[in-house]
Amino acid sequence: MLARVANNLFWMGRYIERSEHIARYLSVNYFSSLDAPNEASQSREFVLRSMLFVADEEELKEKKEFNESEILFDCGLNPEKPYSILSAIKNVQQNANGARDLISTELYESINTLNRTVKAYSAERFVKSGLFDFTTMIASNVASLRTKIRATLLHDEVYAIIMLGIYIERANQVIRIINSKYNDALLEKVNFGGSVRTSYEWITLLKCVETYDMMRRYYRKTPTSDTVLEFLILNPNCPRSIMNSLNSIHYYIGFLTNTENADKDSAAFLIGKLMCEYRYKTIDDFQEDLKGFIETLVDDLSLVGEKMGKDYFSLS
Amino acid sequence: MKLPIFSSYQFDSKFYDEIFTDNKEVREVYQTLFKLFSEYSVSDFASLNDKAKDAFFNQGITFQVYGDKETKEKIFPFDLFPRIIGNAEWLKLESGALQRSKALNLFLWDLYHDQKILKQNIVPRDLIASSANYLKEMEGFDPPGGIYNHVSGTDLIKHADGEYYVLEDNIRCPSGVSYVVGNREALKRTLFGVFNSYKSHNVSDYGQNLLEIIESVKPKGVDIPKCVVLTPGVYNSAYYEHSFLAKQMGVELVEGRDLFIENDFVYMKTIRGLQRIDVIYRRVDDEFIDPQVFNKDSVLGVPGLFKSYIKGKVSLVNAPGTGVADDKAIYTYMPQIIKYYLDEEPILNNVHTYHCSRPDELKYVLENIDKLVVKPVDESGGYGISIGNTLTKEEIEKVQKTIQENPRKYIAQPIMSLSTHATYIEDQNSFEPRHVDLRTFTLLGKDKDFVLKGGLTRVALRKGNLVVNSSQGGGSKDTWVLKK
Repeated sequence: MLARVANNLFWMGRYIERSEHIARYLSVNYFSSLDAPNEASQSREFVLRSMLFVADEEELKEKKEFNESEILFDCGLNPEKPYSILSAIKNVQQNANGARDLISTELYESINTLNRTVKAYSAERFVKSGLFDFTTMIASNVASLRTKIRATLLHDEVYAIIMLGIYIERANQVIRIINSKYNDALLEKVNFGGSVRTSYEWITLLKCVETYDMMRRYYRKTPTSDTVLEFLILNPNCPRSIMNSLNSIHYYIGFLTNTENADKDSAAFLIGKLMCEYRYKTIDDFQEDLKGFIETLVDDLSLVGEKMGKDYFSLS
Repeated sequence: MKLPIFSSYQFDSKFYDEIFTDNKEVREVYQTLFKLFSEYSVSDFASLNDKAKDAFFNQGITFQVYGDKETKEKIFPFDLFPRIIGNAEWLKLESGALQRSKALNLFLWDLYHDQKILKQNIVPRDLIASSANYLKEMEGFDPPGGIYNHVSGTDLIKHADGEYYVLEDNIRCPSGVSYVVGNREALKRTLFGVFNSYKSHNVSDYGQNLLEIIESVKPKGVDIPKCVVLTPGVYNSAYYEHSFLAKQMGVELVEGRDLFIENDFVYMKTIRGLQRIDVIYRRVDDEFIDPQVFNKDSVLGVPGLFKSYIKGKVSLVNAPGTGVADDKAIYTYMPQIIKYYLDEEPILNNVHTYHCSRPDELKYVLENIDKLVVKPVDESGGYGISIGNTLTKEEIEKVQKTIQENPRKYIAQPIMSLSTHATYIEDQNSFEPRHVDLRTFTLLGKDKDFVLKGGLTRVALRKGNLVVNSSQGGGSKDTWVLKK
């Protein structure tokens, strides 16, 4: 496979995953805030801040006023904003276009159709009453893209590279969402008292990554910061956990490089090392300094992305 | 009220109508289809037309138009009324197209070797000497399998006399074949019922045949050749076609920047390092394939590619330098070229051509501009053409002046009246006659040839317009070749 095209496939996978996370985050936060148990979580600015934090941290820093329609439009359908769902889907389409001879017609057509639907979606309707409808539509279309990827492509290098994009993006998004909700829980405590450990935000966090029910089933207890973090970071069976993503990245990078004797400067080596480190971590290892832990993980993941670029996508 | 869709069809007896005879009766091959279509109302058709458009957008059969503010995605207009070619009619087209391709191939071999046809003065030497498309670099080189024009597109029209005439042979990088397949797909999605009543040849075997053809001209010593399609990139208006062909053949679609040359071998940069390439179906024009030999500023090609080719390390499809033979001035010698190399009479008609380079013919042209189509010999895409009967007096004088400034640059032909075909016109919400042409696709390989049973019917959507090129607002139709 061409290095340039591999890069297209990788980013196609990343943007597919990204669009769904942003959609889910917008919708879950907005709707859970409507009847949240305390004032802080109900405050509109609080929710809008949180949305923008996950969509684009830098943008949040510069933001002075929080107008609901404006922020919803920016995160959802603004073609000028690189972090909007519309831009993510457009990037999916463009990357698919660059690799269109390698992917199935069925997958390519579904991507095209989704891109056209998003472009044609009424912005007015979206910011007034369409948030649920739009984000649900994105989620179900992304689910259909995943099915087409799994069911119509050869499970070879092409597939592995798309999956690498998906899992690296998933790990990135989940850690960012954890970070965002952790900050929300802190804010809630500072402004309104109460405990970070038992904050309502942990439940919202689980819902943002669609793991609330399964978490309840696993622990049979009301979610608290330690059980939620343990579940979302370390539980290999939770499909949205960091551990699960690391295992998957390690598995799929094995399609491209022999991970047993990978060069120690390679992406394959680094991902193996990270996976092993996390396998033997416990909740106690990061409860003390969650902030530091999150920062390190974000850096490690971006290093994996960089090394993959060098190992597989380089044109020189 | 539901209007039948042919209620306002306007006949024009000056032209050959593909569907109706002069007595306004439906021709035999169209009768079943006509009956089926007559059951539709205007509004049914309008909604089918929208569905067909969706089919193109969703399949991504589009091209980009760059505007001031944003890039727009567009489709080539597609017409729902297919063109039908009966079996006997087709057999003549098929053998005629193949005959021309073979003759052109032999002509190219001769031009780049002994030049017998020039020595015997059958084709004038100065025509070649003055051609910008003649590549000195190709002299004495034997292309693999002896093939230059592996892929040829033959443009034909049907004149008022009901006969086909060839207007042009395209043997550089003829495009459009993906639309033949795409049109069929779109028509099947929208009007699947009509296929039950006709037995038409399938067009989806083009990719397989193309692969066999390009594999047949692999470099010496290569067992299983690695083939690729070379595209200028996603921004090229024919990118869809390039990706379509790569996918149909199951080969890699590469850009110049993906390739790399070492010791005259061509490699592509893959996720596992360099991989050797043996055959390149290139959709980049001669001028841009190698900045070391041709256009220095080209970033679409690969430095050193031409040298690899001449050393026999890689095969190029089509061969460089074919442009010299599909020049509009050479076209006028096609009957003689066919006779010279194949000792056969041409199966397909050539349009009579006046050469402005010959003083007596120049005189006739200057005096009869209103009855002639004047074309520059070296432009493509329908540019620079003037059609005599559409010109004002001032415009005629202007054309006269332009020709006199550089007579060698122009030829003239009688105004051929392209046949008309019922075409759905969106603005009018009805079927109207519009002019059509036909492009057939012929493949030549080592000991193998193939003519696609079908073709691209292009239609000039503006009323009265004779120029069907997509760059001039033309659309296209699905084209059925009926089985016996």
